[in-house]
Amino acid sequence: MVRLLTLFCAGVSLSLRRLLAFRANLLFQLFTTVTSVIAGLAALAIVYARTETLGGWTLGESIVLLGTYQIMSGVLATFIEPNVQWFAGQVRSGQLDDILLKPVSSIFLVSLGSCAPLGLIAVALGFVVLGAGFGELGVAPDAWSTLSWLVTITTGVILTWASRVLLAIIALWAPALELDVVYNALWQFGRYPVTLYRQPFRFALTYVLPVAFIATIPARALIHGLPPLLLVVSSAIGAAAIGVVLAVWRAGLRRYTSATS
Amino acid sequence: MRLVRLLALYTWRELLQTLAWRAFLFTLVANQVVSPLLGLAVWSAALPGDRQISEYYIALLAIQLMTVSYEHHTFANGIYAGALSQELLKPQPIVVGVIGTNIALRIWHLLIGLPLILATLWLAHASFDLRPVLVAAPAVVLAAALRFVWTYGLTLSAFWTQQAQGVVGFGETLIFLLGGAAAPIPLFPAALRPLGEALPFRSMLGFPAEIAVGILHRQQILMGYAWQLLWLVVGVLLTRALWKSGLRRFTAVGG
Repeated sequence: MVRLLTLFCAGVSLSLRRLLAFRANLLFQLFTTVTSVIAGLAALAIVYARTETLGGWTLGESIVLLGTYQIMSGVLATFIEPNVQWFAGQVRSGQLDDILLKPVSSIFLVSLGSCAPLGLIAVALGFVVLGAGFGELGVAPDAWSTLSWLVTITTGVILTWASRVLLAIIALWAPALELDVVYNALWQFGRYPVTLYRQPFRFALTYVLPVAFIATIPARALIHGLPPLLLVVSSAIGAAAIGVVLAVWRAGLRRYTSATS
Repeated sequence: MRLVRLLALYTWRELLQTLAWRAFLFTLVANQVVSPLLGLAVWSAALPGDRQISEYYIALLAIQLMTVSYEHHTFANGIYAGALSQELLKPQPIVVGVIGTNIALRIWHLLIGLPLILATLWLAHASFDLRPVLVAAPAVVLAAALRFVWTYGLTLSAFWTQQAQGVVGFGETLIFLLGGAAAPIPLFPAALRPLGEALPFRSMLGFPAEIAVGILHRQQILMGYAWQLLWLVVGVLLTRALWKSGLRRFTAVGG
């Protein structure tokens, strides 16, 4: 575990150094991320000029939710997406062999081996938006709410990782299927509270696809705190998700026959 | 006449070629329908019981599918990889092939998205009158042309930077926010409404949907058409200038 962490940190630091070599890209990414955040806030402002609550959420609460969504999107773009994006291609070309031969856990290398630090801009801006949301609400989160948020957002990150990796390793069974774009499309639905959507979509987005865990549940936790039991359940869900990914990965590898065979 | 036949041939060829990766096409459509569907969900919750807002977003869904543009993926790569040099040798304007690809993709998007449009119509108990839809039809064509010119023009930034996809992404954010997807322009705060109507983004997306729902009167419709035509002329002129100066910079591979 410690070895994996060291490896992970080394990867991040390498990517950061590579990033600083292309400063124009950095500035450009900063610009586009800022504009998309402003667009999101402006869209909320227009909606709330017409209504007091949206799916039971006030303007301040919705801004907190948007901030959480930004943070999660940044984590996805930084640590998860750059790894699994080309997974289907690696399976088709047999490049996966390379990874399997290395003396480290293969699922770690496949899903967390490299990173794209530009996405961290979105994470930082997400915290700014969170602050703005609490400014609008006129309160500050207390210690318990912050703890609830940390627990639920960790579960959210784990579920994001698990669902994205599971989607990618479908390629071991069906190499022609590329579902990344669909994942990104569904991801967008996390931008608003899931109470907004009609049944049965709400049910699906809460229990079948973990969209509610992207932002709705952590934002609710940060604003109101969650009962201790729910925090335990949330951690259990996270642990179970890791177990499922490991099991599916092992089953998938048994099917993998490399490129030439 | 020759150009029209060429365009038809390019479109037909691309329609068939696209069949080779039809599974990916479905995922593209899925990505395109998200923002109108989100708008539908948000605004139906904000203004419960308002039929017109659902109809507006269903019209927007159809228009979005009919105006998609992917030049930053299809055409920019030709510039980066240098494949554009082959096209330059052919005795025809290069843009004909680009437009052909664009039209083919739009036809596929509409065909694949049609069941979804019908399903949302049915779920939202929405219906459209024939007359406003007919009045909106030319506006859809103009919006499609304008959206193409916008995306193609931004894609030409590939001659100068490596970031053409980011530039177009920025342009799409503007369309989302100011084109009527985040909020219909008539629902903008009163101070911002004239700006939203004058900027080219409403002409690319929201304007035909507003006509189809029947919330505009004759004067406003004529004004909207005038803005569309004006922006189309401006866009075409600017894009031509960009293309000329970009081509002078283009050095194919190894230059």
